[in-house]
Amino acid sequence: MITDPAQYMAIALFITFIVLIFTGYPVAWLMGGLAVIFTAISVFSDTHLDTFFGVDWGYSSIVVARIYAVMNNWVLVALPMFVFMGIMMDKSGVAEDLMTDLTKLFGRVRGGLAITVVLIGVLLAASTGIIGAAVVLLAVLGVPLMLKHQYDAALACGVVCATGTLGILIPPSIMLVLMADQIRVSVGDLFMGAVFPGLMLGLLYALFILVYAWLRPSVAPAPKDAEPVSLKLWLNVLKSTIPPAGLIIAVLGSIFMGIATPTEASGVGALGAMLLALARRRLSFAGLQEVLQNTMKTTSYIFALFVGATAFSLVLRGFGGDELIESALTSLPFGPYGVVAIILLVTFLLGFVLDWIEITLIILPLIAPVLANMGIDLVWFAVLFAVCLQTSFITPPVGFALFYMKGVAPKGIDTMTIYRGIIPFMIIQLIGVAIIFFFPLIVTWLPKVAYGP
Amino acid sequence: MSEKAELDTNSNVSIDVSDMSHHDKPTLQDNPISRKIDQIINLIGQLFSWLWLVLLFVIIGNVILRYAFSQGMIELEELQWYLYAAAWLVGLSYTFIADDHVRVDVILERLGFKAQMWIELFGLLLLFLPFVLFILYFSVSFVELSWVTSETSTSANGLSARWLIKGCLWFSFFLLFLVGISRLLRVIASIKKGPASDGVIQVGGLKQ
Repeated sequence: MITDPAQYMAIALFITFIVLIFTGYPVAWLMGGLAVIFTAISVFSDTHLDTFFGVDWGYSSIVVARIYAVMNNWVLVALPMFVFMGIMMDKSGVAEDLMTDLTKLFGRVRGGLAITVVLIGVLLAASTGIIGAAVVLLAVLGVPLMLKHQYDAALACGVVCATGTLGILIPPSIMLVLMADQIRVSVGDLFMGAVFPGLMLGLLYALFILVYAWLRPSVAPAPKDAEPVSLKLWLNVLKSTIPPAGLIIAVLGSIFMGIATPTEASGVGALGAMLLALARRRLSFAGLQEVLQNTMKTTSYIFALFVGATAFSLVLRGFGGDELIESALTSLPFGPYGVVAIILLVTFLLGFVLDWIEITLIILPLIAPVLANMGIDLVWFAVLFAVCLQTSFITPPVGFALFYMKGVAPKGIDTMTIYRGIIPFMIIQLIGVAIIFFFPLIVTWLPKVAYGP
Repeated sequence: MSEKAELDTNSNVSIDVSDMSHHDKPTLQDNPISRKIDQIINLIGQLFSWLWLVLLFVIIGNVILRYAFSQGMIELEELQWYLYAAAWLVGLSYTFIADDHVRVDVILERLGFKAQMWIELFGLLLLFLPFVLFILYFSVSFVELSWVTSETSTSANGLSARWLIKGCLWFSFFLLFLVGISRLLRVIASIKKGPASDGVIQVGGLKQ
């Protein structure tokens, strides 16, 4: 499989990276630093040890031009605006109000509170797309409430963790913006492709809760003191649902109908979220400053990884890492769909140690051209890939959603309870991946309809 | 109605999104130089964070021009990515000071303070600073070329000062170099003297 000794350097680079990640040094600088160190090793070895690895300073300095290419990438301008929109939505307190009203609406159903969490999770997912924020918000709002009504603690934690991660999948999602850029498909296509898979997962979570609560009433009992559903309640629900839902529909709709570019839509969404927060009197000058600074930090940590991964990938390619992957993938005896399955499995495993950003920036650009050559629909594949990465957020022991959950869980909930609660949802994720894999129409239908025959 | 009351007490919880990537951080020692550097960079970072709002309005302005007056402006579109690039580039060092760059700290958080500081020291000397110096060195000629040829946009109505935004790349890595030095000083001092305080434990971003 290895055709060139330099490819050993590629393997060494990747393994060093995976091992050193556990030192806890910031991943962005680890990737950048390793790129420099391995360039130095290659230069030294080529001049003194008679090898021919071929990566020298001149080659690696291309990274400056690559960083510049990220700087003048007009599509990526949408990313910070979606981040801003998410943080602003969070600030507006819409989710809290929804929780209050929806709880009353679904309060009389067995498992109703958990379903409420799923519904709000889906809505949050479409507005924030920042996993940490969504999980923490849902946990702080939902878990104490569910526990108070004698819900099973494991179930409560599982619902929160799983729905909290939907944000990475349901558009507008910053992950899909990043993926679209890496595999060179349009952001709109990916957004459209991810709508139904995202909703489907939400629906599967809700179905599971209903069935589970029906089979074992003790895990999610119906509250005894539920007030009757009145017209006023319905109006309240509508009042708190319409503004955020309208905003999301406006943003997505304008992209889907081709009226606005994703960047334009992101700006409008950000402005809308700000107006929403203003209208609800939740935005002060200090609050605005805070939102701007948090936007800065979240955006910059993503772009730090971008800068580091750019350098890392460049050197990895210099050593022939791309050919190595290509020959490995094409030599697999399973056919195109078998290859996709293997990639998903490996991605899932890598998700235990790597963040979605690194996987998207390093792995995706290496495999996408190979798959395109095999005739795989990249939009379909990207959505599968996205669901896989979403799952890695909730897989113990290194699932980030579980960390966030642990951080804000009420006293008495230990790690094992959270792990136990997440297992059914991991299985649902796998079912979801399988459904998308065998019924690609879930992904491809909407883009097809949008573009007409 | 006890439900409502419970939710109301909860609704005031503010959630700091950027604060959740780490669990607890012992405080590092500092000295006059590092304090000064951090202050300056924090100020620059806070100043530049307003660019996001400016960017928002530039995008909106462009949308209005395009749909209300059906007039696209190349200048405004280029201004968008100028602003976006300047803001995140400067944000790199601002985020560095806040120690908000992503770490996989499953093992790190189980180590003692001394061990953490040694990892930090090696990380700075072997990974971070070499990378920053590497980019600084090679971006000089990149910016210089743009300056000497007074490079302008490739589109007819584009912005002229291409060297300015390329200079921003160099500037941001210069800031990163400064914060790297500041952190190096703090880490060395902390290895010598131990943590500055016992460290406030923050769980999951919610100050408890």
